[in-house]
Amino acid sequence: MTGSFSAVEEDPSQSKLVADRYLKRELLGEGTYGVVFKAIDTKSGKTVAIKRIRLGKHKEGVNFTALREIKLLKELKDPNIIELIDAFPYKGNLHLVFEFMESDLEAVIRDRNIVLSPGDIKSYLQMTLKGLAYCHKKWVLHRDMKPNNLLIAADGQLKLADFGLARIFGSPDRRFTHQVFARWYRAPELLFGTKQYGPGVDVWAAGCIFAELLLRRPFLQGSSDIDQLGKIFAAFGTPKPFQWPEMVYLPDYVEYQYVSPPSLRSLFPMASDDALDLISKMFTYDPKARISTQQALEHRYFSSIPAPTKPALLPRPPPKGESLNEKPLDLNLECGPVVLSPPRKLRRVTVNHVGFEGDTHNNTVRGDVNDKAPRGVAESGLSGLMPMSIDLEAVFGYTAAPRPKLNSVDRSHLKRKLDLEPEFK
Amino acid sequence: MAANFWTSSHYKQLVEQDKIDVVHPIDKERGLTLEEFKLIKIHMTNHIWRLAQHVKVRQRVIATAVTYFRRVYTRKSLTEYDPRLVTPTCLYLASKAEESTVQARLLVFYIKKMCSDEKYRCEIKDILEMEMKLLEALDYYLVVFHPYRPLLQLLQDAGMTDLTHISWGLVNDTYKMDLILIHPPYMIALACIYIASVLKDKETTAWFEELRVDMNVVKNIAIEILDFYDFYRVEAFKGMAESFKGISDEKINAALHKLTPKP
Repeated sequence: MTGSFSAVEEDPSQSKLVADRYLKRELLGEGTYGVVFKAIDTKSGKTVAIKRIRLGKHKEGVNFTALREIKLLKELKDPNIIELIDAFPYKGNLHLVFEFMESDLEAVIRDRNIVLSPGDIKSYLQMTLKGLAYCHKKWVLHRDMKPNNLLIAADGQLKLADFGLARIFGSPDRRFTHQVFARWYRAPELLFGTKQYGPGVDVWAAGCIFAELLLRRPFLQGSSDIDQLGKIFAAFGTPKPFQWPEMVYLPDYVEYQYVSPPSLRSLFPMASDDALDLISKMFTYDPKARISTQQALEHRYFSSIPAPTKPALLPRPPPKGESLNEKPLDLNLECGPVVLSPPRKLRRVTVNHVGFEGDTHNNTVRGDVNDKAPRGVAESGLSGLMPMSIDLEAVFGYTAAPRPKLNSVDRSHLKRKLDLEPEFK
Repeated sequence: MAANFWTSSHYKQLVEQDKIDVVHPIDKERGLTLEEFKLIKIHMTNHIWRLAQHVKVRQRVIATAVTYFRRVYTRKSLTEYDPRLVTPTCLYLASKAEESTVQARLLVFYIKKMCSDEKYRCEIKDILEMEMKLLEALDYYLVVFHPYRPLLQLLQDAGMTDLTHISWGLVNDTYKMDLILIHPPYMIALACIYIASVLKDKETTAWFEELRVDMNVVKNIAIEILDFYDFYRVEAFKGMAESFKGISDEKINAALHKLTPKP
């Protein structure tokens, strides 16, 4: 970084207004194309996250990825998509103002102290699909769906973020790069090198996220593109031409040894029949036959019991950098009347729940939340508290392999393909 | 894309003609007339088109650049935003927004090659600075819809694909006017089809009736287009690329000169 001013260097007590409007707070981290810091919007009183966009190297102006994100987010306004509140130039850099998000889905999935009930999982998946369906209705492909791009707001709403790889898929014959998505979330048609693809790639990734919510670990952790396909075929069987006629014509098609699929039930032992049915439809090999986001939302999984947990009642990790005591005290007011069973039963449920967790460190957190707002407990009854599957990490000391982002090869490839930035002189 | 025009920022930003035909107070103070304002916009549209032919971009990119250009001047003055710098920057920004980036240095190079007038020349850093100002002037709205795709679909539907060439040319010429800021793109496409069909003696009444669009609006747009050709005494439909020889360089330069700050 060669920037002359940086968020860390500045004393927050100086409380200087940025762009006559924002009160700058601490540095939050390094984003895809610049630093992100927290700020207070003096106009609305809300906490926001401001991304400072690095100017493109080699004199290419506003970063291409950032520009793409601006372009699309200005068109996308939905409760399940991150809101771009404002944009402004300041000291020669472009700044983007987003609503501040407390956490992300990856943090939820990874947090061993969190138990996700079937209703919770349903709720997270529903919000993911709602955001996606909105994008697809607007002819926008996200192309980078993964848990850590699904942010969680203070009110529990899940929102799609990071549209730096997204694009409009209006023209029917446009060819796109297949080097999109982190590998574990890549659909088979992309791994086989297709250049013409559609919303199905996002649906596949959403399926991976669904599976990850159930398993509490990334579902298909391939170590290379070839290995990724191997993992996919091991889970769902090697596709036969009648299942996916175009497969053999794809640019990077290679033949795999035939393996027959294990039963879905064996992969997701705790999932309901409806959940399994939806999974099988989201992981359909032929992109043309794969379920659409809208159809997925209308799937009976979402109308059968348990009902999706209300966003405000979803379990989530403590917000970064804040102590739990600072949580808003009017939590129960926001949540409204959700208790449907007698308080006596509720208390018993709460106790059971803590007992089940067997983790006393948690009691304060959980108890706290449960006292004020019994999250979905009453709605779904006891079964709502059962975990969908065993937490492998906790039980077997299993540790997940580090989550791959786009690797450097992908990245430079992408740069060339998408940004057309002269990365290498 | 056509499916979601009605929820787009483009649709929400459509304005009335009388909001566009306003000379910015700062420009007015310097004596710029409405006619000169329009002339400059036509001239600069041609400038974008010529420059784009050198750097070889799709017509869609050019159309987006012209739309940005025209949108900017519904809000900003020619005095503060020198059109000679705004034009290449619009093309630069449009090329990025339409996912076919043109490097700023190429634009700088071709402007030098194309224009003998030094006032048109600029450096890379000028374009990059203006890019930021343009983004702000456009309120960061970058997605623009164009009549091209609806045009092809409608011609297909009407079974009049033989009119593609002429109506496509008409659509290109509409960017010399402000229609793209006023009407939904498919209405512009329909007006161009209407003109083309009348010109080629095609019977289209039944087809237009089936579409259930407001024919009055279509006809009004068509008349505006014809008036425009008329106004600039152009031999319409013959060699459209050569259409605008009518505007003399002196006239443009005189208008632009008014805007130059006096020392």
